[in-house]
Amino acid sequence: MQQATTLLRATVSEPRQSTSMQPDSALQRRAATLFRAAENELHRHTDQLFARLMIVQWLAGIAAALVISPLTWIGDSSQVHVHVWAAVLLGGAISGFPVWLAWRHPGLAVTRHVIAAAQMLTAALLIHLTGGRIETHFHIFGSLAFLAFYRDWRVLATATVVVAGDHLIRGLFWPQSVFGVLTASSWRWMEHAGWVLFEDAILLVAIHRMLREMSEIALRRATLEGSNVEIERQVVERTAELNRTQVELLETSRLAGMAEVATSVLHNVGNVLNSVGVSAELATSKVREFRVGSLKNVAELLQQHSADLPAFLSSDPRGKMLPDYLLKLAEHLAEPQQAILQEMEMLQKNIDHIKEIVAMQQRYARGTGVVEVLSVADLVEDSIRINAASFTRHEVNVACDIAPVPPLKTDRHKVMQILVNLLSNAKHALDHSEGDKRMMVRVIQNQAGRLEIAVIDNGTGIAPENLSRIFAHGFTTKKMGHGFGLHSGALAAKELGGTLHAQSAGVGLGATFTLTLPLEN
Amino acid sequence: MIWLLVVLMGSLLMAQYSLTAGVAGTPPGQWPETSGVHRDPGLAKLVIFLHPRCPCSRATLGELERLMAHCQGLLSAQVWFIQPEGRKEEWVKTGLWPVAAAIPGVQVKVDHSGAEARLFQAATSGQTLLYDPAGRLVFQGGITLARGHAGDNPGRDAIECFLKQKMNPPASTPVFGCALGWNTKPEECTLCQP
Repeated sequence: MQQATTLLRATVSEPRQSTSMQPDSALQRRAATLFRAAENELHRHTDQLFARLMIVQWLAGIAAALVISPLTWIGDSSQVHVHVWAAVLLGGAISGFPVWLAWRHPGLAVTRHVIAAAQMLTAALLIHLTGGRIETHFHIFGSLAFLAFYRDWRVLATATVVVAGDHLIRGLFWPQSVFGVLTASSWRWMEHAGWVLFEDAILLVAIHRMLREMSEIALRRATLEGSNVEIERQVVERTAELNRTQVELLETSRLAGMAEVATSVLHNVGNVLNSVGVSAELATSKVREFRVGSLKNVAELLQQHSADLPAFLSSDPRGKMLPDYLLKLAEHLAEPQQAILQEMEMLQKNIDHIKEIVAMQQRYARGTGVVEVLSVADLVEDSIRINAASFTRHEVNVACDIAPVPPLKTDRHKVMQILVNLLSNAKHALDHSEGDKRMMVRVIQNQAGRLEIAVIDNGTGIAPENLSRIFAHGFTTKKMGHGFGLHSGALAAKELGGTLHAQSAGVGLGATFTLTLPLEN
Repeated sequence: MIWLLVVLMGSLLMAQYSLTAGVAGTPPGQWPETSGVHRDPGLAKLVIFLHPRCPCSRATLGELERLMAHCQGLLSAQVWFIQPEGRKEEWVKTGLWPVAAAIPGVQVKVDHSGAEARLFQAATSGQTLLYDPAGRLVFQGGITLARGHAGDNPGRDAIECFLKQKMNPPASTPVFGCALGWNTKPEECTLCQP
């Protein structure tokens, strides 16, 4: 660990570009923690690996004993060979304790050191069971490589000490069992241990590199974690900003929708006011046509002859003409009076229309969020009525096809906002159409049980490339458009749990906008 | 620590078992003329007695193979597989038989009821005897260093040294193997006790 910590310290002290605001000391601590965790995980995993390997080796040793030397003989009588008992009992003793440690105490230093010693003792047993085959000696070198999995040089040291100790003891007491000759040098065991040390040296270099990689990975991971924290903080901040912007956008859209309704109202009020002005002008003109001077002359003549009025009317030539003159004057006054009355009636109607439009506007502008049970037919008719004057002026023929549908429980203002916008758009689409300008509002309950209000026109239509972005914020094909209407309409439809879709066969082929709403909202 | 002691004790017992030699015979110092083995004139003669089912004897054959390769033309060898009384010849012809027969310069024969073993006083499987061209016994013992243990060993070295006239060989080495049985009661043979 000291070695690893040194590596870690060396690595983190190198110049680097930090992506976080975390201080280096905290980063180092976190990297050291991650390194220890990775190392512990590695030790535990390797312990388990060796536990399985030891069981396999134990069984392999028994199998080898049963195959190579199952029985010992005296003439024609036999007994179980000592090697079989050694494989079972001694092999079991060698493997049992480390397997138990790996099972009960994985990751502890003592576990891997016992495993290292046991692995070397197993090698000695296997070599013995196979009659000292040189090939079985490879087990020692293979085991050292396996033990390097721990990435702990001390484990290799333990294994090496066991091998050297075994050779030392054998060399001292039974030299021929190790070196094949009785006269071997008492230092021969060092030659054998030297080869083990040779492999150890190579493995130590590999372990050193692996530990350095582990520490670098830990450092990178710690740095990454710091970056992630910073990124998460920025994401939270940006999300809050986005939420604020969305709220503002929704408010802007709502205001834009309201403004659109208000614009429609004002437009229609303006149209009606034109009619009011015309009616007033006509009435004024008719009033001017009244022959008030003639009537005044008759009145003055009658006043002059007030003393002898009967004689004047019966004997004076002017008096005799006066009744016919009055009759003709009355007839002459009756015609403009009728025209004025008609204009007054029209004026009254127009004023009523204005009152009605203003009342609707006030009703719909009272605020959103109020859910009411509404008649769909009333909603559609009100929407058309708001635009009625505009439709009349532009000679748009509006038809309704309203199927019997259940009452709609929804926010009146939002639905109204959407419909007024769709009708206004349809009217604009028909502005430049030649020939018959037709618009249809169709209401049905679809197969899914949802309400569909479709506004269909035979106007300019929509180009296919525009269909996908027609609801995008800011997108418009109108010269004076602002790109709010359909966007806010789509948002409003979504808020109501519905959808707003557009269909068009292409430019010049009309368009259909369908508002789908749940009947229970 | 207890675990280490247990393992150490077990290893020591096993080592002791492996390094305990078998009963040493007393072979005749001069080639017995009554033997069924024919000696080749001018060549030393190596005679080995094996128990056909002794697991340790495979190592002996391995060492014999090396010896014959190293000393080609200097000796001829005869391997006797003991056939105890009451056992058929098929019992003798185990996996060791073809291994021995495949070694160049080696003749393999069945020693019925251990007659030849008795003649040469061989008691342990792996017992090896070397007679010089004059029929004098120059070596007796084993050519493995432990029970069933392959590798360089003093017995093989001694034979090679004699044949190549490099030095005087030791007269004998321990023999590691199962008892041939013709002269050993089970209770007398500690070697074979597990």
